[in-house]
Amino acid sequence: MYELLGQGILTVLQLKYLVPLFLGTLAGVVGGALPGVTITMTIIVILPFTFGLDPLQGLSAMTGVYVGGSAGGLITACLIGIPGTPSAIATTFDGFPMARKGEPGRAVWLGVWASFLGGLLGGAFLILTTGPLAAIALEFGPWEYFSLFVLAMAMVAGLAEASFVKGLIATAIGLLITVIGSDPITSVPRFAFGSAFLNDGFPFLPVLIGIFAFAQIMTDLEKLGHPKPEGTMEGAKSLSVSHLKVIGEILGRPFLLLWSTFVGIVIGVLPAIGGSAANMLAYDQAKKFSRRPEKFGTGIPEGIIASESSNNANVGGSLVTIMAFGIPGDAVTAVMLGAMTIHGIQSGPLFVVQHAGLAYGIYAAYILAHPLMVMIIGVGALFILKITSVRLAVLAPIVLVLCVIGAYALNNTMQAVYVLLLFGVVGYALVKTGFPLAPLILGLILGDQIEINLIRSIMTDDNPWLFITRPISGGLLLCALISVVLAVWQHVRHQKRMAAEADTDF
Amino acid sequence: MRLSRDGVAGLILFGISLALLADTFNLPRMPLVPVGPGFYPRIVLVFMAVTSVILVAQDFLKVRAAAPSALAAPGPRRRYDLVAAIFAVVAVYILLLPYLGFRISTALFVGAMQWAIERPRTSRQWAALAAVAIGTVVVSYLVFETYLLVLLPRGSLTGW
Repeated sequence: MYELLGQGILTVLQLKYLVPLFLGTLAGVVGGALPGVTITMTIIVILPFTFGLDPLQGLSAMTGVYVGGSAGGLITACLIGIPGTPSAIATTFDGFPMARKGEPGRAVWLGVWASFLGGLLGGAFLILTTGPLAAIALEFGPWEYFSLFVLAMAMVAGLAEASFVKGLIATAIGLLITVIGSDPITSVPRFAFGSAFLNDGFPFLPVLIGIFAFAQIMTDLEKLGHPKPEGTMEGAKSLSVSHLKVIGEILGRPFLLLWSTFVGIVIGVLPAIGGSAANMLAYDQAKKFSRRPEKFGTGIPEGIIASESSNNANVGGSLVTIMAFGIPGDAVTAVMLGAMTIHGIQSGPLFVVQHAGLAYGIYAAYILAHPLMVMIIGVGALFILKITSVRLAVLAPIVLVLCVIGAYALNNTMQAVYVLLLFGVVGYALVKTGFPLAPLILGLILGDQIEINLIRSIMTDDNPWLFITRPISGGLLLCALISVVLAVWQHVRHQKRMAAEADTDF
Repeated sequence: MRLSRDGVAGLILFGISLALLADTFNLPRMPLVPVGPGFYPRIVLVFMAVTSVILVAQDFLKVRAAAPSALAAPGPRRRYDLVAAIFAVVAVYILLLPYLGFRISTALFVGAMQWAIERPRTSRQWAALAAVAIGTVVVSYLVFETYLLVLLPRGSLTGW
């Protein structure tokens, strides 16, 4: 394993791979730092650039975006009090107050080094566990896969912030989109209504790009002209700091670093949850375990370390899920999965064995992206801060042009571009009606696989009880049931608490 | 029966579920496969119909329980007119792409979208708008067509 990893590192250190990795990390840091541009949006923008590259070049660039984006959000979170990405929201709570107290360099570098250390620990988990988890996944039959996908969807729907029912409906919409077009077993067209456009179904990437890009850009446009928060540090002249001291501050809190990293990895492994949940949960945990919880939010290092180490460790966890099971951990890895499919690579339990060079190349790219990220932020943090002042009038059309190129270049047809626009409208409408996008995307990603595994299991043995009596499948379905019950219970408890608070509010 | 946004969304989704569910019964049965092409869509659609009904019921109960004074205070004004205009600009761009080709239609699109979001007033602002529009086309053409060998749409009217 270590020999393969060494070979992977030597391969990625070649200029041919190092340049896309560097550019991807740079794009990730800049995209992550731009408020309103998420990592998903950045990777969508990067996607068309990878079509002309070889698989490892393209995936190195995407890994760079993911690592860079997870850290880039902290720059604006600390210096202007606006998280560049949702995965840096919790960084704002202590990073911005610390910067306003006159320590912007300390705030930024605590975040950068925490991201670096958390990310590398996440990388160790990625390298050490992908193989054993893939070996477990090889034991899975269609029953187990079906149950695993059901569990993934139950968990994501349960985590929907707005409402559990809306989370379930969003999942169903995602599944429904995959049903339109030819049936995967018999190729009978479904819900095509005689239209050639609908006959082939909707290609996954244009749907994903349309939903995310339009929902994001249109929501930003709606808010155009809203006032910026006061007291920003846009005029910060220097971020110089003693790096040894900052690293010492982080390593002096080993439990905090390890626990936040662990939280990040676990959230990353769980499908479709992502860094936005990881940083909040890690921050919450750090506060609960702290001897001085009342100091959180006033500019203490613990808040920054917890948030940033968890969101970068989350990347390692997400990559485990995609490489061992072929299930994307979030929308970013869903785009990576789509890019792999374009290059004819099937992700799943056999991926590491069948494409060892590529798999270890991805590990190497992941590891090397971290020092690159530190270097990019070290050299250009203040310059990146200036880029964040780019007007939406310039940014929005360029992003949309790249989305159109990304959709068109998939198979050089306008059909994918029409799908992009159609789902752009659908995505925006869903956001405006309060439907969460994460469950929808998971339904969209897993829909085909759920159907294929369901039909395959029935064709193998039509006894439906096998889903429950096979131990792993039954266990997974039980977990799904527990997840649903817990989500309902939490929802009911929340409603009761709200009602009680309303009653006592004179 | 008074419903809010959630209730209306639930009713629409319920209607779609029922319409598509009815359509699954027109799908042919395959003799060699134990379950037909309509089997799985029916599961999804029944699930969607049931959850939509729950959403409508939840909304109905919530609206009935809410006091008129509980209405949320209006937040900052949102630019829905701008969103509609941008959707229209994007739709026109996509419709023109196969006729005018990537280079011309993209330059027009980037210019039109900048104009819609932020009207240029001075000649300097107009020059910046044109520079961004032309620059986007030149850079994307050089990067995608020349360097990455990714084909961009050609216009049937212009050949560009």
